[in-house]
Amino acid sequence: MRSLRYIFLSMIVLGVQPVFAADEGQLLSGDAKNYIGYGAIILTLIVLIIAMLIVLKAFKVVARLLLGPEGATTVKAEKAAAKAERKAARAIRWQKLLSLKPLSEEGSILLEDDYDGIKELDNPTPAWFMALFYVTIAFGIGYLLIYHVFKTAPLQYEEYKIEMADAAKAKAQYLAKAGEKVDENTVKLSTDPAVLADGKSVFTQRCAPCHGDHGQGVVGPNLTDDYWLHGNKINDIFKTIEYGVPAKGMPTWESQLTPKQIADVANYIKSIHGTNPANPKEPQGTKMTDEAGTAKTAMLQK
Amino acid sequence: MQPEKFYYDNKIVRNFGIATVIWGIIGMLVGLIIAIQLYQPAMNMGSQYTSFGRVRPLHTNAVIFAFVGNAIFMGIYYSLQRLMKARMFSDALSKIHFWGWQLIIVSAVITLPLGMTTSHEYAELEWPIDILITIVWVVFGINMFGTIIKRRERHIYVAVWFYIATFVTIAVLHIVNSIEIPVTFTKSYMVFAGVQDALVQWWYGHNAVAFFLTTPYLGMMYYFLPKMANRPIYSYKLSILHFWALIFIYIWAGPHHLLYTTLPGWAQSLGVVFSIMLIAPSWGGMINGLLTLRGAWDKVRDDVTLKFMVVGLTAYGMATFEGPMLSLKQVNAIGHFTDWIIAHVHVGALGWNGFLTFAILYWLIPRIYKTELYSKKLASFHFWIGVLGILFYAIPMYWSGFTQGLMWKEFTPEGMLKYPNFLETTMRILPMHVMRSIGGAMYLSGVLVMAYNLYKTAVQGKLVPDEAAEAMPLERLNPHATTERWHKRLERKPILFLVVSLIVILIGTFVELMPTLTISSNIPTIASVKPYTPLELQGRDLYIREGCSNCHSQTIRPFRSETERYGEYSKAGEFVYDHPFLWGSKRTGPDLQREGGKYGDSWHYNHLMDPRLMSPGSIMPEYSWLLHQKLDTSTTAAKIRAMQKLGVPYPAGYDKIANRDLEKQAQGIADNLAKDHIRTKSNKEIIAVIAYLQRLGTDIKANKTANN
Repeated sequence: MRSLRYIFLSMIVLGVQPVFAADEGQLLSGDAKNYIGYGAIILTLIVLIIAMLIVLKAFKVVARLLLGPEGATTVKAEKAAAKAERKAARAIRWQKLLSLKPLSEEGSILLEDDYDGIKELDNPTPAWFMALFYVTIAFGIGYLLIYHVFKTAPLQYEEYKIEMADAAKAKAQYLAKAGEKVDENTVKLSTDPAVLADGKSVFTQRCAPCHGDHGQGVVGPNLTDDYWLHGNKINDIFKTIEYGVPAKGMPTWESQLTPKQIADVANYIKSIHGTNPANPKEPQGTKMTDEAGTAKTAMLQK
Repeated sequence: MQPEKFYYDNKIVRNFGIATVIWGIIGMLVGLIIAIQLYQPAMNMGSQYTSFGRVRPLHTNAVIFAFVGNAIFMGIYYSLQRLMKARMFSDALSKIHFWGWQLIIVSAVITLPLGMTTSHEYAELEWPIDILITIVWVVFGINMFGTIIKRRERHIYVAVWFYIATFVTIAVLHIVNSIEIPVTFTKSYMVFAGVQDALVQWWYGHNAVAFFLTTPYLGMMYYFLPKMANRPIYSYKLSILHFWALIFIYIWAGPHHLLYTTLPGWAQSLGVVFSIMLIAPSWGGMINGLLTLRGAWDKVRDDVTLKFMVVGLTAYGMATFEGPMLSLKQVNAIGHFTDWIIAHVHVGALGWNGFLTFAILYWLIPRIYKTELYSKKLASFHFWIGVLGILFYAIPMYWSGFTQGLMWKEFTPEGMLKYPNFLETTMRILPMHVMRSIGGAMYLSGVLVMAYNLYKTAVQGKLVPDEAAEAMPLERLNPHATTERWHKRLERKPILFLVVSLIVILIGTFVELMPTLTISSNIPTIASVKPYTPLELQGRDLYIREGCSNCHSQTIRPFRSETERYGEYSKAGEFVYDHPFLWGSKRTGPDLQREGGKYGDSWHYNHLMDPRLMSPGSIMPEYSWLLHQKLDTSTTAAKIRAMQKLGVPYPAGYDKIANRDLEKQAQGIADNLAKDHIRTKSNKEIIAVIAYLQRLGTDIKANKTANN
């Protein structure tokens, strides 16, 4: 009875689990809840096994009571005999499967050589061992035929082409569905606090090591002053981040940031303009104060 | 005919035994230190001589060649004398072998922290030591065959077959993999370059595992296990089959270390299929060992040496199943370059080599000291702490390997890498690295307990330096009077046995190596790939000195997850001037093949000075000494000439003007750094390293722009 109660209890715990999981922002993280869930499942299974063992024991007790003391011993003896027989049969089956000779017959297969007291038996190589060996050889031949003779499976460079094509297709489908397509031509200037907050977190993670945590410039240029190397329009900044300026040490972020992240961080950079952080790096590039000015300098440079 | 009286040399066995324990402790201690360095960079101790890249080879060399090596010689010198019913051929050769081997190890302990390395894994020692190894190995061979020749036992037992195969194959492997051209007394260049060098190295590396860590141990298992259990070997037929199958097939499997690289596809596939075919021959040894214990399992319960043997054999069985699975390219794509491989080799090293060694020590030391083991309790403690240590080591490493391997490959639905920042994947596995070092410490503490136990045993007994024995001398055999089967006949012809073994291992060697080394179409050349400039060449040698390739690979596999992260996948033609190749085998840090131009010079300067400045949380050691040390340009001319000899097309007489170009390029980098307010002289080592890093992988990029 008690075990049944445990089972019910754990079922309730299990049932409640998804409810917990659905609730975001709780004390426990989703992962922790998962672990609790797994633990509960394992615990339930253990409890279930214990319960089954107890029930079995109970049946045995009941049977003994019903059969009386004599009946119990006969049954026991019969069972023991049957068990010994089964055990012997199983041993023989195992020995056959493993190609083992019974220990008692060992003397007949003892080889005559004696190496510092070490003797050898003339057992055959186990049948299952030979089977394993032949299967692996067959695998080897098949593998070479498939990849190099019939060429029905792709080798690495072809595999790569397939992988890239599949990925491009999946990506296009996803972007079309999610409406996240932004590029340097369509990016819009934004002062939305949510956008700037997202941009700031990307900036702290990715840009701060070179440009300083406040954009004051370290290895990379100061991003808060009026001087720009590659244009100060939101589109220019987007482009600089996306493709980088490898020759001068600015990495390409195209493959590390999503278009939205690039747009966010570009907007964040626009937002910190003129903040005059401490220890600014000296100006680099041309002075550009507003959007119109950018266009003019860009033209002049050409 | 009268039985002859003779004496077994136990002193040499004892000496190798002591060396085994001492070097074992040192090797494992170094391993523990570098394990801690992987989450606590301060453990590099700010010194160039103790930084990870230089000390990691010390760990691998110490445990493989010092710990396992001495254990092999201990086991062979003990068992060979008894199996041949003869004293070792020459006491003088035994002594030369012993002290020569210790000299090799000591020179490794000195040169590796000094950064003298060929960068070939498990073959890092420079050319003078390579020659010394060859000499000592030949001494060992003469001593072993001398003993075999003067034996008083007609047939040679299976253990000795394995010793013979070990001797001959290691000789071939060592010589071929050490073909290098000396530049100075402490520096050489590998004769082969790029793909060819990689193939030679991993043909060697894989078979060092086979013929140094496996076959001698199988031989020792065949002697010590039946002695310990007092049971006959289960199957003589299985011995024959698995011995020949093992040595024939093993030699082919090397290319599985180079899957998805620029090694020709056919060679990769051969590596895969022979690895799979290796399962049964490897297991043959385990089965023959475990079934030998049939009828003796009650002894295993009480006898700690047998416990060590059983766990050792089981670890062997697991590792030799896992190895072939890792050779399947689909599995390899995830496991390679991760901690999974570290877990795999340590199951083999700690479980199989370690535990067998401990079992043999516990069995043999009391015997040669004519006493009982000092404490069975301590030995039992050693066993359990050792098993726990292996579990605490291996499980976190598997976990870490899966985690990082999958993180590297994960994409977001937008088609971006989910973890574009490599460091993020590193940070995730640091807790597992902490666990691993705890497991390693447990294992090491067991070894310390063993050392104490064995010391006490030796003290309470007395060494029998020359153990008396008797045997009948061999009578001449009438070859026509015997009805032996062919293999039995081979077993009484040791030289023929040696020759046949040699032929068997050379078949795979030739089929795999020859086409790649001789047929040029296997390595298509690329016109835009040019030799390194003198400064880059010097920088590359510093990269080798600092052991960067221990943590950074230089080979980008054709996977979307790698081309997105690192750039265009590697081409065979890019490596034609790489003497030696530097592909690496582990990515503790990111791949560097396309590092050139990814960051500015000043980024590299700051990053090498203190990696955590540019990548907070990085576990890379700092390389501040590169900032102060002057680049040694006196070697430039010799290096250029050596490269010319190897076929690198520098113009004739370039060695005389190379330093002029070097200084010009160095000045350019120094000027570039000055623009970012980094004031440094152009003659510092860091300038050369930056030059090399900025060159990496750019030949192909240049090619691409030219086409566009």
